[in-house]
Amino acid sequence: MKKIAKQEIADQAEVIDEKGVSRRGFLKCGAFLGGSLLVTSQMEWALGMVAKAEAGMLAPGDAYELAKAESIIYGACLQCHTACTIKGKILNGVLVKIDGNPYSAMNMTPHLDYKTDPQEAAKVDGHLCPKGQAGIQSLYDPYRIVKVLKRAGKRGENKWEVVSFDQAVSEIVNGGKLFMHVSGEKSRVVKGLKETYALRDSKVAKAMAADAKAVGKKKMSVADFKAKYAQHLDTLIDPNHPDLGPKNNKFVIQNGRIEHGRKEFSKRWLKDSFGSVNWYEHTSICEQSHHIGYNEMTRKWKDGKWGKGKHHMKPDIYNSKYILYFGTGAFEANFGPTNLARKVTKGLSEGTLKIAVADPRFSKTAAKAQQWLPLKPGTDAALAYGMIRWIIDNKRYDAQYLTAANKAAANAVKETTWSNASHLVKVEKDGPGALLRADEAGVGAQDEFVAMVAGKPAAVNPNDDKIAVVGDLVFSGEVNGIKVKSVFTLLTEMARSKLVAKWGEECGIAETDIARAAKDFTSFGKQAVAELYRGPVQHTNGYYNAQAVILLNVLIGNADWKGGLQAGGGHWHEDGTKKGPYNIKKLYADKVKSFGVTLTREKHKYEDSTLFSGYPAKRCWYPFSGNVYQEIIPSAAMGYPYTIDALMIHKGSPALTTPGANKNIEILQDLKKIPLLFASDIVIGETSMYADYIFPDTAIWERWGTPHATPDLLTAVSKVRQPMVQAMTETVEVFGVKQPMGMEALLLAIAERLNLPNHGKDGFGKDQPLERSDDWFIRMTANLAQGDKPDTQVPAASKEEQEIYAKAHKHLSGYAYDPQRWRKILGDDMFMRTITVLNRGGRFEDDEHAYKGDKVHHQYKGPFNLYAEKVAMAKHPGTGKNFSGLALAEPILDFHGKEVVDAGYDMTLITYKDIVGGQSRTIGNYWAQGRELAENYILMNSQDAKKLGIKDGGQAKILSASNKVGM
Amino acid sequence: MAEQGMLEQMRADLPRALAKPPEQRRWGMIVDIEKCIGCHACTVACKAENKTPRGVDYRFVKTAEDGKYPDVQHYYMPNLCMQCDDAPCVKACKDGSVTKGVDGVVRIDYKKNSGDPHVTAACPYGAMSTDEGEYYTEGTPQREAYEDAATFEYGQKADRKGKIGKNRKCHYCMHRVDAGMLPACVTTCIGEANYFGDLNDPKSLVAQKAKNKGLYVFKADQGTKPITRYLGADAYSCAKCHE
Repeated sequence: MKKIAKQEIADQAEVIDEKGVSRRGFLKCGAFLGGSLLVTSQMEWALGMVAKAEAGMLAPGDAYELAKAESIIYGACLQCHTACTIKGKILNGVLVKIDGNPYSAMNMTPHLDYKTDPQEAAKVDGHLCPKGQAGIQSLYDPYRIVKVLKRAGKRGENKWEVVSFDQAVSEIVNGGKLFMHVSGEKSRVVKGLKETYALRDSKVAKAMAADAKAVGKKKMSVADFKAKYAQHLDTLIDPNHPDLGPKNNKFVIQNGRIEHGRKEFSKRWLKDSFGSVNWYEHTSICEQSHHIGYNEMTRKWKDGKWGKGKHHMKPDIYNSKYILYFGTGAFEANFGPTNLARKVTKGLSEGTLKIAVADPRFSKTAAKAQQWLPLKPGTDAALAYGMIRWIIDNKRYDAQYLTAANKAAANAVKETTWSNASHLVKVEKDGPGALLRADEAGVGAQDEFVAMVAGKPAAVNPNDDKIAVVGDLVFSGEVNGIKVKSVFTLLTEMARSKLVAKWGEECGIAETDIARAAKDFTSFGKQAVAELYRGPVQHTNGYYNAQAVILLNVLIGNADWKGGLQAGGGHWHEDGTKKGPYNIKKLYADKVKSFGVTLTREKHKYEDSTLFSGYPAKRCWYPFSGNVYQEIIPSAAMGYPYTIDALMIHKGSPALTTPGANKNIEILQDLKKIPLLFASDIVIGETSMYADYIFPDTAIWERWGTPHATPDLLTAVSKVRQPMVQAMTETVEVFGVKQPMGMEALLLAIAERLNLPNHGKDGFGKDQPLERSDDWFIRMTANLAQGDKPDTQVPAASKEEQEIYAKAHKHLSGYAYDPQRWRKILGDDMFMRTITVLNRGGRFEDDEHAYKGDKVHHQYKGPFNLYAEKVAMAKHPGTGKNFSGLALAEPILDFHGKEVVDAGYDMTLITYKDIVGGQSRTIGNYWAQGRELAENYILMNSQDAKKLGIKDGGQAKILSASNKVGM
Repeated sequence: MAEQGMLEQMRADLPRALAKPPEQRRWGMIVDIEKCIGCHACTVACKAENKTPRGVDYRFVKTAEDGKYPDVQHYYMPNLCMQCDDAPCVKACKDGSVTKGVDGVVRIDYKKNSGDPHVTAACPYGAMSTDEGEYYTEGTPQREAYEDAATFEYGQKADRKGKIGKNRKCHYCMHRVDAGMLPACVTTCIGEANYFGDLNDPKSLVAQKAKNKGLYVFKADQGTKPITRYLGADAYSCAKCHE
């Protein structure tokens, strides 16, 4: 299949401009960047440069303006989701070069001290991957759109008219016969958002939310609910199912690569102001099960409940002696190559680090590995269990670590983390169930667990740092008449359910190779890590695969140790929730409580809803997941749990990135299933081409953001993305303030027309405006300048630094540079401190805080749940059976629990991320994509190719069980 | 981690060299193949730094495959100007615009250069190009301003125009080095695979790496005496990319 390139879409586009003249193609159309006045002036500048440059030559070294702080604005990339800190170099208003930010631990080791003079830092370029370097070509992409496009043909027909921003926003809000000019839609009435915005009273919403939940849990009857809210039933999706929530939920925002900053802004808009629960981002099509694996295995036990866990842990690579990568690596994708690669190559070249890679594909990382384990896709748990069996059989696990049943026991042996390996699990008729409680064993309280200590049951408070409980690892028997087994015993039984060779057969790896990996992994004490990312988890069994790989780490107790697994240095709280002057969780004029089952049924239990009608459920429910991206469009199509009115797609391309994308495209074209569809995009994209309206968005180098740090960084990192160049999108007026069109301006404009709370002149409270994107982000940046603890503010910018700031930003105005407005909002002192943060592109902890003795400085200091009780107690909505508390090595299953066997199709197609590619974002990067083929290609083992008679560079048709026509 | 990182160590080496008269410097680069991960960041950083058009790559990375499944290998090999002591491009150049500098760097004087195709053809490493005047964004809604933006090659702030029709190649980013900065490929490299500095300064990191006995000289049989050399791979694996 040929690549659907933006160029082709643009080439085929037919656009009627504001004068009513229809133009085929893009060349003369004002909707594209080519017609933007601002850029034309930049062009003149560039041509003028010729004359200036020809006039004379400066002294060597002095001529290099890009080495001066006045030419530099620091920001954050988003060519991939790692969002590296970057350094933008600007000549006469044009971003001409992007490099790594030397102040940040992402781009250099050690990074520059925070106090370093920006003039000195100007001469230091940090590392940056090819995608980041090529960002200039995404920013200055000639196919960017700068004006609003409204569909002038059928959805996907690629016929457009340029309409004013005000007209488009007004139509979306008010609805009506919006597409009378399109054949077949003459009389179609589109419901405007003002109708969907049905429940507006925040007090009623709050009361109904609580009672609707009670109805779902059968603690209140539907009849009682209806009687109590008789006057408000018309605001509900279905009064007979009040737990579905208000009609407001029928407006859905589907975000792709949205980042912190915009994320909170947009959520606050939809959930807390408009009152819809249906706000989503992309993570389920990325690597979410990996987050859930970590989360369930690190949930803290608090007040008799399972609390929150960690989502992400990474090796301390510089001190690791052995890393086994499962379906990921350090040189492509992961999180991400700019910050990971140099740490691995240093160790490899100095001989201090050995790596192994378990991946069906021979990746760039595999090319540097001492062992490549080419396992069958999705069988990572089998490989992990083969290793676990070998480790247990050969007693290569850290028994001292595993016997520590609580914090005090861990601390006594110089460990900062502990596990539930010795805790007892009740063995029910259908298998392991809940953890045994101390009251059941007759040895303690209901919120305590039980471990055998020298053969006798003892109560365990996992968080107790005073009384150490050292549990027996192995136990199988009865306690107080209850049949129990220790978690370690369950694990051993699971691992020994198959011989190593048999596990090897399942994953396609020879027994000797598994044994070698297991031996290597257990040969370096705490300085070894089993690392995982997308590869193992993007399957139906992904959660269990993640759990199995994390298990390996727990067996050697490597967390928090130098060279072991660690949770990262974290970040300061830009949302102000610690000690910041602007706590966005509290700054509301009138916070609305959104409620109801989410369209994707995520974060909700099927059993706790009025839709429960036995197993299987009509579609899957996701009690442990959030942001189930691929379910949004199909659920709307099925109308389960309800139909929707409007869908906004922002910075994402489900037509490119979701499984079964072809079906998504069919649904997007269905006017009944998606009655109103609008997109916020920088181009006419593979998905936005199906929209009713496309609102141009700002590019990342033109806008604000506050992305978070990646956990491989040992020191705290808080990034600030700030505009490096003025946005090229058309200027519009919202709340009486001029600003460029972009996602924020679009939501603000809708808020203005709907009279939504929490936006506008008093958006953050009396006389605290939220009228433009910088109103949000300057406050977030000030929160970083303030810090999380008292007396940890950054210093105020010196006079020299203030001058650098002003000179570097002289080509900017309005939302991008408005010192007067910001000074007024923040006050003199805070504004000066904020400049210090802006002059460095964020806040960064100095490198000296990376370690503390033989551990990392920022420690996890928490439990590892080898057995995840919360998971074990939940039911699969398809089969009605309980999930497993212990990792399973199961095949890829469908919703009904049946193994997916595509008879007659013996090859498996996998995807991967090339170092120069970032989904839909990087296709216009000629510098980086130059080496790519013009057609999509498939890599295959040369032996398979030979068998099939396919030659390198040849063409092939691909068929699958679900696509027998092929492509 | 109190120790100085590799980039900062090499940057600290530069002022010592710059304090000396040019004829006492000998700029050199050693590329560590073991640390090259084939990411192409150097290629892109170079293109951005020097605004090279399609068809002109001062630095590019070759990839080669070797072995039989499952014992397979990938090699990545960055190519760039070898700054030869006996440079075929200098010999082939009739207008005197391509010269070997006293500091080791082969330079092109764009004002004199006539873009002789023989000069491009003379390089056995494929490191010399001719700028044919292409623009990546030509034929799109707009030729973008960044493609015409000034660069600072050879210390001259000048836009693209004066380079069209000329021979072009890597110059170790001398404009950056003169400003006390490392070449763009060196700083961007996420594998830290490049060692750069003054080979005449025994204290410099690159000079220490140059002492390595296993340095690979690309096409040594051509007698071009390259300054740029390779570390971390044997002649066998290097040849895989160079075949």
